[in-house]
Amino acid sequence: MRLLKTLIPGDIAAGLTLTGKYFGRVFFSANRKKVRAHIKHFTQEYPEVPVRLAPRYRGRLTLLKDEQGEVKCVCCLACEKICPTQVITIEKGKKEGRKMPYPVRYDFEMERCIFCEFCVESCGFDSIILNHQFELAAYNREDFSLGMEGLGQNMFSLSPVGQYSVAED
Amino acid sequence: MFKSEELEINLGPQHPSTHGVLRVKLRLDGEVVVACTPVIGYLHRGVEKICENKTFFQGQVWTDRMDYVAAISNNLGWVEGVEKLFGIEAPRRARYIRTMLTEMNRIASHLLWLATHALDIGAMTVFLYAFRERELLLDLFEAFCGARLTTTAFRIGGLREDLPPGFIKQARAFQEVFPDRLEEYETLLSENRIWKKRTVGVARINAEDCIALGVTGPVLRAAGVPYDIRKAFPSAAYAEMDFEIPTRPEADTYARYLVRLAEMRQSHRIIQQCLDGLPEGPVMAKIPKILKSEVNEVYHAIEAPKGELGYYFVGEKGGLNPYRMHVRAPSFVNLQALPKMIEGRLLADVIAAIGTLDVVLGEIDR
Repeated sequence: MRLLKTLIPGDIAAGLTLTGKYFGRVFFSANRKKVRAHIKHFTQEYPEVPVRLAPRYRGRLTLLKDEQGEVKCVCCLACEKICPTQVITIEKGKKEGRKMPYPVRYDFEMERCIFCEFCVESCGFDSIILNHQFELAAYNREDFSLGMEGLGQNMFSLSPVGQYSVAED
Repeated sequence: MFKSEELEINLGPQHPSTHGVLRVKLRLDGEVVVACTPVIGYLHRGVEKICENKTFFQGQVWTDRMDYVAAISNNLGWVEGVEKLFGIEAPRRARYIRTMLTEMNRIASHLLWLATHALDIGAMTVFLYAFRERELLLDLFEAFCGARLTTTAFRIGGLREDLPPGFIKQARAFQEVFPDRLEEYETLLSENRIWKKRTVGVARINAEDCIALGVTGPVLRAAGVPYDIRKAFPSAAYAEMDFEIPTRPEADTYARYLVRLAEMRQSHRIIQQCLDGLPEGPVMAKIPKILKSEVNEVYHAIEAPKGELGYYFVGEKGGLNPYRMHVRAPSFVNLQALPKMIEGRLLADVIAAIGTLDVVLGEIDR
């Protein structure tokens, strides 16, 4: 017993007890679904299981449409002015049968966007939001310049990479 | 056969334990450090100049990217500095929430410090445990403002939105587990003989040198000077909070470890007080859409996790942006103490000294 005390000093034994406790908890719960359900895990099986994000999560900028399928944006340029990195470019135009101005061009340079949500805050017409997308990778540099229409991703649809992996809520 | 001349080596800028892109030029005599020169500037982005060309609202997003492990503290300094410049007062509820989030951020920053500092010195287990608790805090930040790291949490005049539903419950759950988790770190480190051998008496700097070099924060408090801006010049809701300033007389790496752990306990206390006494009311003051400054200058300092973080604004007449903006970054000033700490000591102590200063290179280079 005395030999054991000199070999394993108290301070290190206390640390080992702690790590052993955690080791045991993981070791005896591995591959046991019943036990695993009681333990709160900090890691998520992310690509297989869709991620649950906070409702306020700041993802990619998206233009919204109203019930008739019309673009809500009225080109007040508030978002263009407030943007700290000047990633939004809007061109004012007209559309037949619409009183308010219509954005002919709404360009968004995602490369430089810093996802601060100042644009959404400044918008008085609730016509833009930051959605819950965080997987914004693309193969070409041009794919990061989003417009009103576009094949890869545009201001209305989700990005092709991420549309399967964000949980709906 | 054996050469006895002095050797000059570079530690960094890509060394894993320099916490970023810090390059330290060292002159070695055997294993003893003769001279030490920190070389900085690898991460320079010109934040101050950029902020001079942006409006008072826009400039805030750059403060997130200075000290990126304590973005909320940086935001607090910016918004309170601008509020001081324009004479705006945030509502009481907003100030309470600001205080609470800043203290959470202090814990998150200290946990990251503890994790990486212990990892540098050779205690890997703490790294994993500390990051587990930091995860809980980052989830809280995500719930509050939608981002985990570059938060942009506050707005000039208050907050953008009130606390989200469920935030208080989540925060209370964190408050419940955190003291036990702190005990775990203490079990792993405080009495551990390897940890003590690496930290006790290492990288000493006494109070006179600290004051002469302008060192603030836990490094100064571990030298026995009870200086804390939360007490000396209280902002936000700190004047209404009951907390202590932990100090130690030893002024070595071990003392700084103990001071930071004690600070986490005090932050835990402040968060508890904020949660219990959260007042009702609005979270945003009435402010004009466009802020036009007068000829005016303001220096506002807050206690960031690393030390005194000060924002200096000069306004010009009718200016939408600050005429001059300067940041007194705590990591930048604290790094000056590095040569004093390690000259004449062993090479292995350099790693402990850089770790114990808790520098973030994003803030040093700006």
